Amino acid sequence: MKYLISISRFKKVLMISILITSSFTGCKKLLDTDRQGGYDASNFPYPGGSGPYDQFIFAAYNDLRSFNVHSQAFISATSIRSDDADKGSTPADGGANAIDMDNFPVAPSNGFINALWIGYYSLISNCNSSIKEVNTNTQVSSTSAVKVQTIAEARFLRAYAYFNLVRFFGKVPLIDTFYTDPAAQNNVPQVPATQTYAFIESDLQFAAANLPAAWDAKFVGRATKGAANGLLAKVYLIQQKWALALAAAGQVVNSGLYSLISYDVLFREEGENSKESVFEVQATASAAIPQNNGVQYAQIQGVRGSGQWDLGWGWNSPSDNLATTAYEAGDPRRARTILFTSTSTVPGPTIYGEVTPVGLPNPRYNNKVYTNPAMRASIGNRFGYWFNLRVLRYADVLLMYAEAANELGNTTEAIEKLELVRARARAGNNTILPAVTTTNQVTLRDAIRRERRVELAMEHDRFWDIVRWGTAQAVLNGVGKTNFNASRDVLLPIPQTQIDLSKGVLVQNPGY
Amino acid sequence: MLANFKKLKHVLARFHTVAKGMICLLFIFSTSSGYAQNITVRGKVTGTNGEELAGVSIQVKGTSQGTSTDVNGNFTITTSANATLVFSTIGYSEIEESVGGRSTINVLMTAGAGQQLEQVVVVGYGTQRKRDVTGSISTIKGDDIAKLPATNPIASLQGRVPGLTVSNTGNAGASPVVRIRGVNSTNSASPVYVVDGILQDNIDYLNSSDIESIDVLRDPSSIAIYGLRGANGVIAVTLKKAARGKTRINFQSNVGNQVVHDKISITDAAGFKKLYSAQLSNLNAAPFDYTNYTANTDWQDMVLRKAVITTNNLSISNNGEKSSTYLNLGYTYQQGVLKYDDYKRYMFRLGEEIRISNNFKIGGDITGYHFISNPAAASITNALWAAPIVPIQLNDNTYYSMPSFQRAQVGNPIAALNRNNRNSINKGYRAVGNLFVEYKFLKNLTWKSIVYGDLGYNTGRSYSQLPFSFVNLGEGTAATNTTFDNTARTSVSQSQGESKRFQQDHTLSFDRNLGNGHLINAVAGFTTIYSYGSSVGASRRDTALNIPDNPDLWYIGIVNENNPIFNSGGGSESSSVGSFARVSYSYKNKYLLNGTIRRDGSSKFAPENRWGTFGSVGAGWIVSSESFFDNIKAINFLKLRGAWGLTGNANGFADNLYKPGVSNASTAIFGDNIYTSVQAAYIPDPNLHWETVKGIDVGIDLRAFRNRLNAEVTFYDRTTTDILTAVTLPNDTRSFFTNLGNITNKGIEVSVGWNDKVGKDVTYSISGNFSHNKNIVNSIGDKINFQLTGNGGVNLTTTGQSIGYFFGYTQAGIYQSVADISKQAAFGNSLPGDIAYVDRNGDGAITSADRGYIGTPFPPYSFGGNFSLQYKGVDFLFEGQGFAGHKIYTERRTATFAVLNYESNRLNAWTGAGSNNIEPILDNTRGNNFLMSTYYLEPADFFRIRTLQIGYNFNAKMLRSQHIQNARLFISGQNLKTWSKVTGYSPEPIIGSILGGGADNGSYPVPAVYSVGLNVTF
Repeated sequence: MKYLISISRFKKVLMISILITSSFTGCKKLLDTDRQGGYDASNFPYPGGSGPYDQFIFAAYNDLRSFNVHSQAFISATSIRSDDADKGSTPADGGANAIDMDNFPVAPSNGFINALWIGYYSLISNCNSSIKEVNTNTQVSSTSAVKVQTIAEARFLRAYAYFNLVRFFGKVPLIDTFYTDPAAQNNVPQVPATQTYAFIESDLQFAAANLPAAWDAKFVGRATKGAANGLLAKVYLIQQKWALALAAAGQVVNSGLYSLISYDVLFREEGENSKESVFEVQATASAAIPQNNGVQYAQIQGVRGSGQWDLGWGWNSPSDNLATTAYEAGDPRRARTILFTSTSTVPGPTIYGEVTPVGLPNPRYNNKVYTNPAMRASIGNRFGYWFNLRVLRYADVLLMYAEAANELGNTTEAIEKLELVRARARAGNNTILPAVTTTNQVTLRDAIRRERRVELAMEHDRFWDIVRWGTAQAVLNGVGKTNFNASRDVLLPIPQTQIDLSKGVLVQNPGY
Repeated sequence: MLANFKKLKHVLARFHTVAKGMICLLFIFSTSSGYAQNITVRGKVTGTNGEELAGVSIQVKGTSQGTSTDVNGNFTITTSANATLVFSTIGYSEIEESVGGRSTINVLMTAGAGQQLEQVVVVGYGTQRKRDVTGSISTIKGDDIAKLPATNPIASLQGRVPGLTVSNTGNAGASPVVRIRGVNSTNSASPVYVVDGILQDNIDYLNSSDIESIDVLRDPSSIAIYGLRGANGVIAVTLKKAARGKTRINFQSNVGNQVVHDKISITDAAGFKKLYSAQLSNLNAAPFDYTNYTANTDWQDMVLRKAVITTNNLSISNNGEKSSTYLNLGYTYQQGVLKYDDYKRYMFRLGEEIRISNNFKIGGDITGYHFISNPAAASITNALWAAPIVPIQLNDNTYYSMPSFQRAQVGNPIAALNRNNRNSINKGYRAVGNLFVEYKFLKNLTWKSIVYGDLGYNTGRSYSQLPFSFVNLGEGTAATNTTFDNTARTSVSQSQGESKRFQQDHTLSFDRNLGNGHLINAVAGFTTIYSYGSSVGASRRDTALNIPDNPDLWYIGIVNENNPIFNSGGGSESSSVGSFARVSYSYKNKYLLNGTIRRDGSSKFAPENRWGTFGSVGAGWIVSSESFFDNIKAINFLKLRGAWGLTGNANGFADNLYKPGVSNASTAIFGDNIYTSVQAAYIPDPNLHWETVKGIDVGIDLRAFRNRLNAEVTFYDRTTTDILTAVTLPNDTRSFFTNLGNITNKGIEVSVGWNDKVGKDVTYSISGNFSHNKNIVNSIGDKINFQLTGNGGVNLTTTGQSIGYFFGYTQAGIYQSVADISKQAAFGNSLPGDIAYVDRNGDGAITSADRGYIGTPFPPYSFGGNFSLQYKGVDFLFEGQGFAGHKIYTERRTATFAVLNYESNRLNAWTGAGSNNIEPILDNTRGNNFLMSTYYLEPADFFRIRTLQIGYNFNAKMLRSQHIQNARLFISGQNLKTWSKVTGYSPEPIIGSILGGGADNGSYPVPAVYSVGLNVTF
């Protein structure tokens, strides 16, 4: 036994010496392997000179085209919930996720609301990341003017994301930091909507002060001073801060950079980034890359036919109420907004002269996203990924101006701005859409609201408009959405998935 | 005085020890200087019926020196004149013969049972007698694997080893999912494969017939020597070597037919019409016009087929005086049961060993592997979803499109099948080899150096052709028309990938009988592994021309370079370094002790977190060798064993995650200008480090009743700490990979076998195994303050529960009426026909708080058994296997994005009060019925007849005249029958994902296989 101990001791020495020698012979070098085929933060060739932070803010712009931000869920929550549109497509298509958006209530388990949550927080994360890079990235040298402009751009996009989130969900977590230790910091409780609005206002005020009035042609569509002011007007309007709304809208009106163009051209591909455009989600396509640089926006609402008429899913179908009651007689905007498909007796031509087939699942489709057949042919794709989403246009700003002015008792200016919009709609035909002349604040308010509905129909503001006007209950019950209960349904539920993930830190909205 | 005496005795003892040690050293040197005392012993080993026994292990007692008999039972060994030789082989009683100067020793071995304990098992950088092992290692003989028709050898281990979970897929050439002793990690829980020393993530490149044995190492003491690679268990594969003796040629072949018996029951046209009409009526929608939809198409039947599988193998071995050669050629072809999936594999292996002198050997081994695969052109979910009312096609180029209610989302499955078939060419090449030098010196020491290389190269080309024309049948006012998508374009793509892995092992081992019953065996070594991979891929769409359907043109250069769809390329690189040592000691063959230490470094972690030390200790006591046991005749062998070990896991995740990475994959668009953007690729964790598995393993090995009964019972308890986890973050889409919390897996593994003879001609054996594993998450760490979710919240991982359990509501029934809703808890918007859920918290309403644990995707129980019988030349084998306690989530039924074909359970859907209390109303817009609940869980307990095989061994005498040593013909059936309640293709656990496992989205069917085979040795 003793003998054994000495042998094992000998072995132990041998072992240890092998361990020591082997551990220090060149293995350190072997273990230093670098990321292959991908940059890490230390070797990314950050560009110098002009736009040094562009790459980071571009990631946020990329998110504007994401499916979770501006596609199926966005269209459902902004438009299908309103009285302007129905789900469309076939009755069972989309299941409960879709039909609940139309008929209420939306369940906390609804997949669309979780998509919105994820999408908008991803956009916010990329905005926060850009701000962090400006403040901390020592490898980029630039002037403070460039830094301020990049931060302004990030804050504009962040404000847009929070504005949608607060309108969708009410109380949401307010995250203004790019977390590097998410495990400890990401689970943030919600704050009251007022606090989020204050945050949005300060972001937009900063953006309005520091963004350029316009960009070089190669950057057409980037966030501008006008976009920040226009969005700010909408943020004030929803809070009924009339004077501030008037001032912000006035900044856009008085900039002299915007004007109204043909209502017909406005929603064609050639109407993208026109003089009327204040902010658009930019999308493009080519024959080689028909979808990746675009947004799945037109396709969701495209004609649900077959073969060449398979232009999309046929969702967000303009409602019967919009088609039959909203428009004044002869308003050309009705036909430009609603694509009436062919019936066995009445042919339904498109603006490009094609005749839609008989027997499509839906009688009406959104004509404001109808794509040019020549584009479809040249790109070799029917689904309109190249179609820009008009987020904010000058007519909207004018109507916000009119609304704020009227609420402040300045009916003259209100009538004047309203008339600008109506005059453009008339397109030279003076037999239709007579000028509104009433100076009665209440009557004028109704006129502005009606104008807002038809001018901006299917453009994602209607639901939020009727909510902020306090008319949602009456309007939606009136069009047969009898389940709608304003005390619950003006807000979407907080996604159950997110509540679960937060371990109950997130609190469900009332009524759900 | 007494104390002084003791001290003196101590000093003397020490002196004695040192002196003995010096004598010993002298002895070592003197004996190593020549072979004067060694003699060459020859002999023949036969069985009681006079049959020559091949492959009998002959070991010089107390050393690792040994040989084995050739096919004629002959052996030659050079050893000392006074050595004792130990003869052992499976199925026969062990025999010891002392050489006593004899040069010829003929041995007669008698059949005996339960001799597995004399087997040699792989223990990592060496081998050990099974009887000396202190951990849990199970060995499966290669012959038992080779006789089953499967392209992947691991698939055949299913049900054979307690604690080993193998989940097969029917996909041609696919690897099964393998878990050892439950799920230890939220990350990679796959074991590491060690093929003749080289560490691998899969063994797809091996031929079943080329495997001598597979050892499954399960306990921490056996795997600790693999350091950072071992934590999920080790499957060690030993490839065949040339047997001693003359040239031997073996040919094996089997051909089988695969058939899917358990199809998913879906509605036919009549059933579909009935259900869709009911659904529309429930939605208050206008009825659908079926006038033109008169077909009744079974799409599922159309995409499945009877499929061929064949494996063939030819091996030639030669073992001469100075060298041995082993050559193996294999060909495997498997069709998938899903059209037209197939997989063809060619392989060869050449092993060569040259004995330059008695103590100096060099050798090498190379395996070449080439596959050609054709992916399935059809999709199972497509076939399950497509409405059965649509006819297939009008003519070769015109198919029918689906009805308008699913046209946008569901295509014609057969059009897709015929369009995609044979549109890609995928090939792979792989060469795995090693070179070794082994030098024995100072008698007891052996130096062995091996370098391994594994080079892989995969290439693929594919083509996307123009679509067919489609007939859109008229519905209501819409007329029937035929359309062709004239915006579609042809495209081609190409991809190539390379992988490289280099490993070196250098070991020094020491094996010595110290006399007086002391045996010691030790090994120390150093190893490095380096892995590298890169890939490129590109695709172009031709916007001007239509590329013809001709494989000669399927290169991206065929399309003008201005038409790229994508170009991509990437790489990966990682490495690890380790040094290790193990000492095994036994005293009087009764007391066993061993210890292991390993120090490992991995490039996956930051330099300061890179190095870790792991190790184990084990002890065993062979109680039956004690003198007090001599009177207990019934028990032939009894061993108690226990082991403790600490090992690490750094497997299965991307490299360099501790450093920040950036991604420039996304773009910003302004006008029609496209700009590259940059964003964080993931959130780095600078403190990322390996996870640690610490555990104990205690067991009893027993043989009794003249070795006819053998049993092993093992308890284990292991805890994984700092589990590596990919975390879904709240309010963030970036991926985050970090260390969290700890998990315990405890369990018991039992295997029992009985072998006996009835009369002269009948031998039989029965064996069974059972294991139970309990998985508990002790903590998810203090680093996160949010919930760990999987599969979008369907699975949760929380403290005190098993990992990744199903979380949801429990179905109580169906609300039969409005009155019924008011009587029990309900959602605010519950309607008659909706699923009633159990009000867990008893607050009178159904809310999200009424969800809870509703099952686990991971089976806590597994069992397997077999019965074999031999009568003269006829042999019979039955194998059964099953799992219990797990559930399968029928996620495929939760799809609501369109109207899809129904599964047959929906024929019983609720239609009014009292109609049904399980199946909710037909209305896919009732969201409450699509919540995660027990309605979507199926108990997946099952028992399956794995194998039924009858073989015939031709009479040896008759064959000998034809120069045939041995010939066996067999017929075999696999997966013949499965008893289970699962409605999907297979009840096998779906465990590929750990935090979100168990979801069946139409997983690939596991077919039954009927085959015939032949095995001939010349």
